[in-house]
Amino acid sequence: MSWDLIGHGWAADLLAEHIAKQQLRHAYLITGPQGIGRRTLSLRLAQAVNCLRPPAPGQPCQACSSCRQIERMQHPDLSIVHSEPPSIEIKIDQIRMLQRTLALSPYQANYRVALLLDFEEARENAANALLKTLEEPASRVILVLTAESIERLPPTIVSRCEHLRLRPVPVEQLSQSLQSQHHIDPDVARKLAHISAGRPGYAIELEQDKQRLDQRITWLDDHYRLLGENRVERFAYAETAAKDKESLRALLPIWASLWRDVALQATGASVPLTNIDRQAEITTLAERFGLHVAMSVIQLLEHTNELIDQYVNARLAAEVLMLDLPRR
Amino acid sequence: MKVTVLQENLAHGLSIVSRAVSPRSTLPVLANVLMATDEGRLRLSATNLELGITCWIGAKIEEDGSTTVPARTFTDLVSTLSDREVGMSLNVRTQTLNVRCGASNTDLKCIDAQEFPPMPAVDTSDGLQIKVSELKEMIQQVVFAASTDDARPILTGVLMTVKGGKVTLAAADGFRLSVRKADLASTSGHSISAVIPARALSELARIASDGEQLVTMVMPRGRGQVVFRTKDVELVSQLIDGTFPDYEQIIPTKFKTRAVLSTSAFLKACRQAEIFAREGSHIARINILATGELQPGSVEISGQSEETGSNQNIVEATIEGPNILIAFNVRFLREVLDVIRTPNVALETSTDTAPGMLRPVGAQVADGEFLHVIMPMHLGS
Repeated sequence: MSWDLIGHGWAADLLAEHIAKQQLRHAYLITGPQGIGRRTLSLRLAQAVNCLRPPAPGQPCQACSSCRQIERMQHPDLSIVHSEPPSIEIKIDQIRMLQRTLALSPYQANYRVALLLDFEEARENAANALLKTLEEPASRVILVLTAESIERLPPTIVSRCEHLRLRPVPVEQLSQSLQSQHHIDPDVARKLAHISAGRPGYAIELEQDKQRLDQRITWLDDHYRLLGENRVERFAYAETAAKDKESLRALLPIWASLWRDVALQATGASVPLTNIDRQAEITTLAERFGLHVAMSVIQLLEHTNELIDQYVNARLAAEVLMLDLPRR
Repeated sequence: MKVTVLQENLAHGLSIVSRAVSPRSTLPVLANVLMATDEGRLRLSATNLELGITCWIGAKIEEDGSTTVPARTFTDLVSTLSDREVGMSLNVRTQTLNVRCGASNTDLKCIDAQEFPPMPAVDTSDGLQIKVSELKEMIQQVVFAASTDDARPILTGVLMTVKGGKVTLAAADGFRLSVRKADLASTSGHSISAVIPARALSELARIASDGEQLVTMVMPRGRGQVVFRTKDVELVSQLIDGTFPDYEQIIPTKFKTRAVLSTSAFLKACRQAEIFAREGSHIARINILATGELQPGSVEISGQSEETGSNQNIVEATIEGPNILIAFNVRFLREVLDVIRTPNVALETSTDTAPGMLRPVGAQVADGEFLHVIMPMHLGS
């Protein structure tokens, strides 16, 4: 398959059919968790509509100059909008700039493609400014929005797009693809497939950045240890962790993934575990706390992450979390 | 690539093309200027993907080639070079450009010319031709009326239509409309209708040299671009996609009151009224009074502000039709009077809620060559 994706074959087929039958929508919304392949799918779509030598209608060759420029996200007719660090928001000025560009006819390709990444990060006025463009874009413009879920977007945006929801790739399929397409050892591939919870982008990132894998193990170790510690130890940990807000934001979802496994284990579900290397701990915790506590801890961790996103004092949020975590 | 050029030519060329450089873009190569040998001359090009400018300068070429140089660094460097002759040679493998001028020796890190977005190679043989001076005047007469609000992108452009040896430029922003027609220097069989970004036309008016030169205009098929070419400079602009509103409908076909007055006196009165009106709602009240059969009429232009005071000016005028009091945005009036070249101007109105029309008056202007429509404002109390 020349869309060359891990999983999401149905989405690629659907989009390829839209191109082949010339039924392209003016705007697509691709949702799913981070690292699942939303951006990759969007780029393939941009390649497929603008490919110079498509092997078949709706298929990108991934070899021509246009395809290669899009792959590097450096194509004259590809506009990319995302929050620009240090800001964590998409601003209205970025949307205005985009509108100026989209009003012009394409520079060299068939279509101008605008990629708006993580659109849940758009400020309200920025999202509203886009509505007019979403409603009546110029004739040779395709807008592709990505977001974590439609619930995090204004309904006015969602209703103006064709929605494609990407689901996690089955663990076995992801493991196979990692082996065949990225030449990763079967053992490592299987582990990565589990840890990434079916998110190919995340799995590949972990593979390329060994530090993150080690970091994950440290964090999980810390967590298990903290569950057995008293308040003094926990507060000391909260103080250190709160110093680096970014790592705190990365740490909480990993702890939550462990509790998700605990919850799954407690119910006896056959869904594959994420933290497969932590089987023993998960079983202990499931026996000790049961489903109810596991669910409440997940909520607690998610809530803490939200608070930090909303600029609550990180140390305070971490300390409250430490008080509320159950004791092993 | 190995070339020698005169410092002043290079500096001049860079100053022309650098307006199209976009330093903050996702494509790093757009912050560079393409430099390529081209049939015995050196070609300099820059583009921001909306507007591209190319300039050819004379050069002594020892070896053909091309590369892209960082615009800012190179321009700053060239402007400080003191010797007349600048020698440049490119190391293709490392993409390093060595620039020698007198005792100065510089190595510049460049980006491969392959990375530069292709500029259209156009065949100008079947292009439309128009005098540079005339095109510049046309642009100046319409471009200010284009909208600057990106929410309606189509109105940020100027509609160019070519039909039967005549070219028309029209721009509107929802409150005013400016239309200018002219004859082409060459007659053309095919008719054209395209919306060109106002920014690109302003830039064209800026870089086009004066005089009786001809500019050739081409629209390569299916590329959504327009190309303007003079002897040494070429400007390429992307067109705006969409349909321009049918502006003919807005042009009033009849009027009740017509006042003919001196352009310069009217402009001066508007300038004074604006000093006060700009503090508030930009309203200038125009009171047109026909006094009697054998006496000249008058037009009173007034502007006022709560804080700074008020101003009135009376300009003599020849009036046909009944008296009328009407209000216009004074900035709009001033901007159009600024571009009317004839000594007298006609203001045609019908009621205080209907659009007014301004047009130049004089023997040397053909009928309907230039007209400007402005929506009136509420008179208030």
